[in-house]
Amino acid sequence: MFKRIIYIILIIGFFIFLTTSCLHKDSYEDETVINHNLEEDLIEYPTKKDFKIIEFNGKEFIQNQNNIGKFGGTLSNSTIGEGPKTFNIWNAKDATSSSLGGIMFEGMFTTDPFNGEVIPRLAKSVQIDKAGKTYTVTLRKGLEWSDGKEITSDDVEFTYNTIIKGGYGDTSSRDVMAVNGVLPTCKIVDKYTVQFTTPEIFAPFLRMLGFAIAPKHILKPVTDKGIEEFNRYWGVTTNPKDFVISGPFKLEEYVPAQRVVFKKNEKYSIIDKNYNVLPYLNKYVVYIVGDLNNQVLKFEGGELDILPVMGKQVARFKSLEKNSDYKIFNLGASDGTTFLSFNLNTRKNEKGKYYVDPIKQKWFNDNNFRKAVDYAIDRDYIVSNVLSGVGMPLFTAEGLSSIYLNKELANGHKKDLTLAKELLKSSGFYTDEKGILHDKDGNVVEFTLMTNAGNIERESIGVMIKEDLTELGMKVNFKPIEFNVLVGKLTGSLDWDAIIMGLTGSALEPNNGANVWYSTGSLHMFNLRQEDDAINKKDLLPWEKQIDELFAKGATTLGFENRKKIYDDYQQIVYDNNPFIYLYTPLNIYAVRTKFKNLEPTALGGVIHNIEEIYIE
Amino acid sequence: MSIFLYILKRIINAIPILIIVSLISFFIIRLSPIDPLSELKLNPAISQQTLEAEKVRLGLDLPLYKQYLRWGGNFLKGDLGVSTSGELVSDRLKERIPNTLLLTGIVIILTWLVGIPLGIYAALNWRKPADRIITIFTSIGMAIPSFFYALLLLVFAVKTGWFPVGGLTSFNFSQMNIFGKIFDIIHHLFLPVLVLFTLSLASLQRQMRGNLLDVLESDYIKLARAKGLPENKVIYKHAVRNAINPMVTLIGFEFAGLLSGAALTEYVFQYPGLGRLVLEAVMKSDINLVMASLMIGAIMLVIGNLIGDILLKIVDPRVTME
Repeated sequence: MFKRIIYIILIIGFFIFLTTSCLHKDSYEDETVINHNLEEDLIEYPTKKDFKIIEFNGKEFIQNQNNIGKFGGTLSNSTIGEGPKTFNIWNAKDATSSSLGGIMFEGMFTTDPFNGEVIPRLAKSVQIDKAGKTYTVTLRKGLEWSDGKEITSDDVEFTYNTIIKGGYGDTSSRDVMAVNGVLPTCKIVDKYTVQFTTPEIFAPFLRMLGFAIAPKHILKPVTDKGIEEFNRYWGVTTNPKDFVISGPFKLEEYVPAQRVVFKKNEKYSIIDKNYNVLPYLNKYVVYIVGDLNNQVLKFEGGELDILPVMGKQVARFKSLEKNSDYKIFNLGASDGTTFLSFNLNTRKNEKGKYYVDPIKQKWFNDNNFRKAVDYAIDRDYIVSNVLSGVGMPLFTAEGLSSIYLNKELANGHKKDLTLAKELLKSSGFYTDEKGILHDKDGNVVEFTLMTNAGNIERESIGVMIKEDLTELGMKVNFKPIEFNVLVGKLTGSLDWDAIIMGLTGSALEPNNGANVWYSTGSLHMFNLRQEDDAINKKDLLPWEKQIDELFAKGATTLGFENRKKIYDDYQQIVYDNNPFIYLYTPLNIYAVRTKFKNLEPTALGGVIHNIEEIYIE
Repeated sequence: MSIFLYILKRIINAIPILIIVSLISFFIIRLSPIDPLSELKLNPAISQQTLEAEKVRLGLDLPLYKQYLRWGGNFLKGDLGVSTSGELVSDRLKERIPNTLLLTGIVIILTWLVGIPLGIYAALNWRKPADRIITIFTSIGMAIPSFFYALLLLVFAVKTGWFPVGGLTSFNFSQMNIFGKIFDIIHHLFLPVLVLFTLSLASLQRQMRGNLLDVLESDYIKLARAKGLPENKVIYKHAVRNAINPMVTLIGFEFAGLLSGAALTEYVFQYPGLGRLVLEAVMKSDINLVMASLMIGAIMLVIGNLIGDILLKIVDPRVTME
């Protein structure tokens, strides 16, 4: 008996020993306090990137005007998921592959990370003729591929006319360049000059000239063998020595499911104020991690130097920042949007059945109804509770980081239940004694709200919106369903009432959303027209027509200021008519080790837009 | 019957099993409402033509039974097809299988080298303190869920900095000398091996202990002792030999688990093995990849059972192969 008691005590003791080792002083301050501090992290930067193009040793270099740094060292970044599918950037279909490929291959132009303007990279300048259709691009002289061959207009012409126009690789870059199905033409003027001509004025084309340029002397023999051969070329099994590149870093090693290692390109075409050829860093490593948790662990374990910090983690990292070797950067709003949308479809399917119940059609197509929902939603509450304060309420069709944002609408409005109720009343809706909302024909207002299951953020938002709308007397059945099924409903069977969805946006070019906003677009999800409907669009809503016109005009107008006015108008129309009721946008927050200097993280460029001049002190 | 005939018979028996397994898995995956193209469909930059081309490339435009026949035909020819992202499935498996084999191989060798002696030792010291202590540890080992245990060790690695957080090699692996490389791999393997080792050691040790205890109770052991055989001979010649038979069957199952047994641990430790690959493939309904790994799993199980049976025949002459 005595023995047995001893054993039990021993076991308990052992367990306590085990569990105490897991405890850790990991508590942190109240989240609300930290949300305040985040504002301080918004950094003020120059209004534009400061650089010169100078001639030195017979080469036209870009000279950065930032601090002079030290050579050597490694920067470790990470990517979530399976890692790159290919290093052939012209065939990159996923974000990881194209961002990793983008480090090796540069375009003629790039985006100013501070103000979003188009600035030269491999090119020196671009001139647009008076008609606005011909773009004459002059390349910098003396630029070299990593194998020593010169980069000339031959390479540009080959990339555009053979790879992009020929349909090699990922064809989506070709599709967005077409104006009414016709692609711009490209011809060589001299060794350093090429001329592009668009069939009509096409404003987004200037930015599209940033496509990565391919080395003709390497890829010509490959394209001659056909598309299949090209799409396989420079895949993940290629020997890193075979790459011929123009970017700051060249692939050194790819270990599947573990990491991608890049080493510096000695022949890069950017120099610092002391005429040293950049980049400063010897190596750039991208770890491939499976999920967010592992990413955080790897950062805390010191293996990563850069970490995108999400939601609840922000508070913890912020509170630990003072005694740590990292600094938190708040890059501002991300360019994605999350919204609630009602199905405005009033058409019938092939079997003659309405996609949406005719009773519900009336509600959803009632502008007052949508506006009432808009005013009933408490966005501040969503941001502080679901996003732990790491986000901002969103009211506009262009994201808060977009250079085309209509700033007058950006602040939106507060939740206003009285106004919402008045709006409903003016459309004949009434609440009975139990507080349940009926339409003017006496039907109970009840609909299904869907979102993709597994997305915890959207699931919690759904519950909050359901609560908000219950205050108006609406009965909302919230139903998260499998993402694939949801997409099937949105793009195929069209039998849905309301959804919470998100779309990736572009902070630089509203026309990238044309697929969503054109009334015949394939992602015009709030009123999607199947093929036949799209041809004879007899039920075009007046404001849909206005947006169609604005988008057509926006694409064919040159000059930022002129285009800004057009896209301001479209945002106003969306704001007034609420086809999408925008909800929130998360903030991009990064933790970066303080040993790195020359860091200038921006909303448009991210953390490593100037990787060539980042150095370790 | 000769052993080769027996093996041949078993292989022929396995064919319908494999066909049924492939049918069930294929249709379950295909009939689930997961659309491999749904991500593309919601991308504003993807055109309708691109979507159609993808559909044709992946064979999604064919009726279901044709898709199956096409897959089956290619599988027989040894062509595992391409994954949704366009790489050869066989290439993807080839880069991962050695890593998984390295991990599970080490674990199996370690557990058998330690588990069997520990089981014998515990049985011989039945109800003595040594046995009790081993029992406590093995009970804990059996009770802890593998992913939780792995997470605990991962936190341990982060807090102490003694071990790398996941992966198999360091970023400067290619510049190391041979000893550095070996050390680097051991350094990375230590924690995942520890997790799997503790878990499988527990059950193996318990089994061996139980078997031996049963045998030690039997009449022929009493007889052997009664006729004055030395205790060593009684135990190692008679008792252990009989107790080990059920363990031999276990080897077959261990073989089947070589490739798939470590999936959870692999995922937590971000180990570049097969488990993580297949998990990601299932989420994306990457049918060729999932089918290939399921078929490999089924084949490994069939072969494992066969190996177990043959080994049993070798250690136990009473077993016949009729």
